[in-house]
Order: sequence, then C-alpha cells, then structure tokens
Amino acid sequence: MSLLQDGYARRALIEALLVGALCGLVGVHVVLRRLSFFTMAMTHATFPGVVLAALVGVDLLLGSGLFGVLVVLGVSWLTTRPRSDSAAAVGVVLSAGFALGVALLSAQAGFTRDLSAYLVGSIVTVQAGDLVKTALVLAAVALTLALVGKELVFGAFDRGGMVAAGYPAGRLDLLLLLVVELTVVTSVPAVGTIQAVALIVAPAAAARLWSDRIGPTTALAVLLGMASGVVGLAVSQAYQVAAGAAIVLAACGFFVLSVVVAPVVRGRPVPLGVG
Amino acid sequence: MSEPTGPVLLRFDHASLAYGRARVVEDVHGSVHGGEAVALIGPNGAGKSTLLRAVLGLVDVVSGRIEVLGSTPARARRDVAYVPQVDTLDAQFPVSVGQVVLMGRYRDVGWLRRPGVRDRALADDALEAVGLAERKDDRFGTLSGGQRQRVLLARAIAQQPRLLLLDEPFNGVDAVSQQALLAALRRLQDDGAAVVVSTHDLALAHLACDEVCLLNKHQVAFGPTEATLTPELLRAAYGGQALELAVDSVIVAR
Amino acid sequence: MRYLLEPFGSPFMQRALAEALLLGAVAAVVSVFVVLRRLSFVADVLTHTVFPGVVIGFVVAGTSGIVWGASVFAVLSTVLITVLAGRSRVTEDASMAIVLTGFFAVGVVLVSRQTSFTSDLTAFLFGRILTVDRQQLVVTAVIGAAVLLLLGLLGKELLFRAFDPAGAEARGYRVLALDLVLNLVVALVVVAAVRAVGTVLVIALLVVPGAAGRLLSDRLAGITLIAVGTALLAGWLGLVASWQASVNHGLRLASGATVVLVLVLLYGVAAAIATARKVRA
Repeated sequence: MSLLQDGYARRALIEALLVGALCGLVGVHVVLRRLSFFTMAMTHATFPGVVLAALVGVDLLLGSGLFGVLVVLGVSWLTTRPRSDSAAAVGVVLSAGFALGVALLSAQAGFTRDLSAYLVGSIVTVQAGDLVKTALVLAAVALTLALVGKELVFGAFDRGGMVAAGYPAGRLDLLLLLVVELTVVTSVPAVGTIQAVALIVAPAAAARLWSDRIGPTTALAVLLGMASGVVGLAVSQAYQVAAGAAIVLAACGFFVLSVVVAPVVRGRPVPLGVG
Repeated sequence: MSEPTGPVLLRFDHASLAYGRARVVEDVHGSVHGGEAVALIGPNGAGKSTLLRAVLGLVDVVSGRIEVLGSTPARARRDVAYVPQVDTLDAQFPVSVGQVVLMGRYRDVGWLRRPGVRDRALADDALEAVGLAERKDDRFGTLSGGQRQRVLLARAIAQQPRLLLLDEPFNGVDAVSQQALLAALRRLQDDGAAVVVSTHDLALAHLACDEVCLLNKHQVAFGPTEATLTPELLRAAYGGQALELAVDSVIVAR
Repeated sequence: MRYLLEPFGSPFMQRALAEALLLGAVAAVVSVFVVLRRLSFVADVLTHTVFPGVVIGFVVAGTSGIVWGASVFAVLSTVLITVLAGRSRVTEDASMAIVLTGFFAVGVVLVSRQTSFTSDLTAFLFGRILTVDRQQLVVTAVIGAAVLLLLGLLGKELLFRAFDPAGAEARGYRVLALDLVLNLVVALVVVAAVRAVGTVLVIALLVVPGAAGRLLSDRLAGITLIAVGTALLAGWLGLVASWQASVNHGLRLASGATVVLVLVLLYGVAAAIATARKVRA
C-alpha cells in the first residue's frame, strides 16, 4: 500500500499504532469506571494548556500535560465536595477550559487554523520526535497499569471493600485520572480532541462485548485500537478525508460490528450498555 | 381480625409472572377485600416487588390473571396508589414536603393543567393524616427516613386510592413513624380501601394485617394471618433460613 | 455604568446582545432540568451529534440551511440517545461517548471534503454572535418560545419524573416519553445556539447556570431565578468585556468564549458564596 511509501505516511502509521495501543490500554479502565464524560471533559479542559505552552514556547506535550494535572486536581476536588453533582462539575470544567483556550487563542493571529488542528488532529504532520514522546508515554502507562492494574480493577468493582482492605483507594483513583489525562494530551495532537475520546472508549467498549475477563479484554482493546488507526489512515488516504475522523469512524465501526456480531458468536444476549 | 367487609378489590387467579422469557413468580392465588390489609412476606428475591409491579400492570402475567378493581391492572391504575421504598429517592432534590405530596394529585389534575384549590386541600389533608403537616415547607431531604416514608404515604393518600400497594415501608423506620404509618393505613382501610404491604416484619404482620401471602418465587400460602404464619409454612417460604426459637414463634433471616 | 452600556451603540452589537440574552435565558431554564436530571453528558452528546446536520445544512442551503440541518439531526440523535439510555441499564456512558464521537467524526469528514475547511469548521463550532442578523433573532425567539411553552405545560410531570421515576412509572406516566421530550428540549436549545455561540460552547449555557443556581438555592423557583439571572448577566458582561478588550486594548477575544468565561466566573462566585454560607452555619 502507498501507506508505507513516504516518510510522513510511515510516521503517521507508527503514531496511529502507538496511540491506538495507548488508548486501548487506558480505555479498559475508563469504560470500567464509567469515566467517558470525564475523558471528554479532559480533552476540552486541557486545551488552554496547549495554547499557553505554545505562547510561552514550552514543549506542547509538557505544557498541556502539566496544565492537565491542574485540571485533574480541580475536578477531583470539585467532585469530593458534598452536595455536588459530579456531572455538572465536569460540565463546568469542560466549558471553562475550552472557552479559556478559545479566548486565549483568539487573541493570537492564526486563530482558526490552530484551533482546527487541535480539534481535528494532525497525525500526518507528526515528526520523529513526536513518535518518541508517544512511545515513551505508552511505555510509562503500560508499566503503571501493569503494576497497579488489578488494584484498579478491584477499586472499580468494590471501592468499599478496597478501602476496608486498607488500600489507598483515593490515591489510586487519582492515579488513574492522571493516566487518563496523560493519554489524552498525548493522543489529541494526533487525532484531535473529540476523536481521542473515541479511540479511548470505542475499542475498549467493543472488546468488553467479547470477553468478561480483564486480560483478554485489554489485549483485544489494544488490538482494535491499533486496527482502527491503520484502517482509518488507509481510508483517509484513499478518500481524501480527515485522518483523525476516519480513525474514529473505524473505531466506532468495530464497536457497532461487535454489538451486532458478539452476541451471536457468544451465544447469549449482551446488554447494549457495556462494562 | 374482623371478617372481610368490602367487595373484592384485588384478585389473583393462579397468576404467574415473567420478565421476558424468565418466569419469576408462579401461581399466586387469592383475593383482597375492601377494608383489608394483606402482608406480602418472603425472603429477598422472592418476587414481592415484582408482584406489586404486576398489580400496577408493569410486569407481564404469562398465565392466569390479575384482576384489579374488577378490571385489568392497566385500566385500574388510576385508583391504585404505590408507595416505593424511600431510599430510592435522592435526598438532595430541591423539593419541599408539600410539593411531594401534591405530586399525588398530578394524574388527576391531568396534563397541561395546574393543581387547584381542591387538590391542595386533599394534599394538606393527606399530610395531616400522617402527622407531618407542620413540615410542609421543609425540603424533603431534611426529614428522617421514617418521616420521608410517611410523606410518600401521604402522596399516595392524596391520590384517594381504592387499593394501596406499599413496598417494604417499614424498613429501618423509627417507632414514631411506624405508628403514624399504621394509623394512616388503618384510616384508609376504615374508608374501604384495601392495602397490600410487603414486609419482613412478622410482628407487624400479626399486628396490622388480616391476611398474609407467603412468597418465594411461588406462592407458599395465602390466608388469614394467624393460620398462615406458622413455623412450618415460614420454613417452607424461607427455605431453611428460618430459625425456630420457641415452640410457636419463629425468627426469619433475610 | 457608561462602560457597561458603551458597546451597544451599533445595531450589530444590539442584535448580539438580544441574541445573548434571549438564548441565555432559555438555556438557563433548561439547564435547571439538565442539572437536576444529571443530563450534562446527554447535553454534551447532543451538542456534538448536531454538528453533521449543521454541515449538511450549510452545504445544501448555505447559512440559512444550518438550522434546518441541525434540527433534523437533533431529532434523530435525541431519539437514538433516549432509546440507548432507556435500554442499557448498566451504563450508557460508553455508548453515548461513541455516538457523540461517531456523529462528530461524520461532521468532520463532511467538512474536510469541502474547500474552505478551516474557517467554516470554527464558525460551526464556535458561532459568530457578532454576525447575528434579524432573521436569526427571530429563529431564536421562536425556538425559545417553543421550549418555554413545552416546559411550562409539562413542567410538573417532568419534575415528578425527575424526583421519582419509579413512582411516576407506577402512576402510569411513560418515563421514556417524558425523557424524550426533555432531551428534545435540550436539542432545540442547541439548534437555537448553533449560529450564535456554536455547538461546542452551548454546553456551558446548558449546564453552568443551573449548577450555579443549585449551589445557592434549595427550591426550584430559586434555582431557576438564579440560573436565568446568571445567564443574563454573563451574556451582557461577556459582550462588554470582549468589546472593550477589542476597542480599548487591541485584544481580540472571541465573544462567545468570553461570555462562557464570565459565566464560569459567576459560577465561581456562587461557589464562594455557598462555601461561605456553610462555614458560617
């Protein structure tokens, strides 16, 4: 395929594979803990971080990553206050973050161009340096999840039991939120804000329809994440459509396919909600 | 207790219930007269809530029949009131006690119209009947669990029902509220309404109910309280989770 | 005071203000329900699923086609979301996120196939309140009236369902139908907001006012009043801020974004007041 012919297409492919794997890994926990809205909010709320980083001249990933940490802490604090509706709080943060980013950006020239790149992603302009960063993040996240993965699953199912058993449940929750945040800021430059959510949620949700065990689900999520990247890029090249969006549609396609096929293959009805 | 005074308001005719293709309750048979109170007793998962929902027409009756007020459950629903368990409700919700009770009038007020003077009077009377008139303007969530359960009963009373269904209303309720609930139910019965209440509390069943239906996915017994709450039948219903303490009293585990 | 009125000398600023106030008030009333029913995510999904409709409408009929395209997709996605949420008891979280991103991706694909890609994308997503014309005001007013009428007529049933869905169902109300109506109301607000504030920022109008009201009041009437007041204030002050910044400081701040920022600031004030009250009590 012409996908592998030129340098930037090759880099785009590698980035798609790396990001797909990263999102698949993290996605399993996002789906398990019903953090989809939070992830959505993260993609919007870390936007000002990107703009600020660009303004200050700091590396974008670093800048948005640090800003994202602040956002995570803010959301965590908001949701632990009594009588707070976490969904509303997340909504407020989402709105605030994105509006701040847009306002900051509009104060610059080149408003629309940069904004679009953020929204839609620009995987085809990815550089070798970006690939290294993504690979490092993937390695770090994979290591973290390998170390505390089963505790995270325990906490997702039975937080009370976990606290009773003496685990620092609160800190584990926060750790996962930070891992999600890191995944988001790494994936957004490649596939765009909203698309990053798709890559995190859809492959994992699809995988969940095929297996009830964490191990196989994770493996399948990673596989589907990478497959979405490849298929998406191929379609994007063939039909001249935005790469990020094509990748998303591929991921959603796998999910819809799983909804339809998995119950038949597994021999029993599966509820439409997943995990 | 006294002889059944009123007409049959609720009749189970060998009714079996199912969710989709899974049968959940089998062969319920018996009738409830106006003025009577029937206790629905059985372990968790026995199908008590399901049976109540079937009387409301919300669960499929796959064999036999349920006749409510001489008609089908769906058509009789206007005159049937349901009191849910209070802990299913959000205590933070910004509604006042008075507003909750007034909700019982909505169906009769109808779509597109606002509650009128008569509706508000009925709501006030209902709140009075459960002894919480002075809390009318307080936020619902500021009341204790037992008080909130009384408010939900008031909401049902405001509906002026002929049949009243209560889903474990006495769970974790303080003594004062329990008395208030029983008194309000007694008043309704005196007015000719029939009451069906699911409960774990055998003493309460003895105290307040004319008949008992023992349920454990199928009907174990349906008859007068004294005759039905025997150790043998209770053990049959609770399947070995019953503990016999003395010769004629039994403790049941949930 | 002159500072606050100065920007509104010209007709286009007056129209922008009218649009902001109208939209803000209507969205604020809806946001009370969004917060009470925990529909923030549903609202967010709807703001994104409308996007492909916006693009298709624009492609087919220019700027006047936007509202029509948005409406069609609003209805479609409302039905889809309501059905999904009704069917899956465990978690509709993931399914909704997938619907959101899938629809949005379709919109992006459609936009990327057109020329003038970038500028149109941001106009769709962030709106251009400063270019609101009289026709747009009429559209907003009509949709606003429809929304308020629906909420006025069905308010008590919606409240009952919000508070006690089991009780409402027992009473014979079809909960799914009521949910469909409320979701449709949210979708209508999104359609009304599409040209002024854009799809991405309307979520702020649909969540923040109600959230601020909830912080400060325990009664439905109070919450609604505060929500509407906050939205009106934010609309006005936001436009003032962006105008003054542009005219007096040479700083171009997107108007829609500025309104949202003021709104969030007001939420912060509400949060501070709420915390102070609790400390005093």
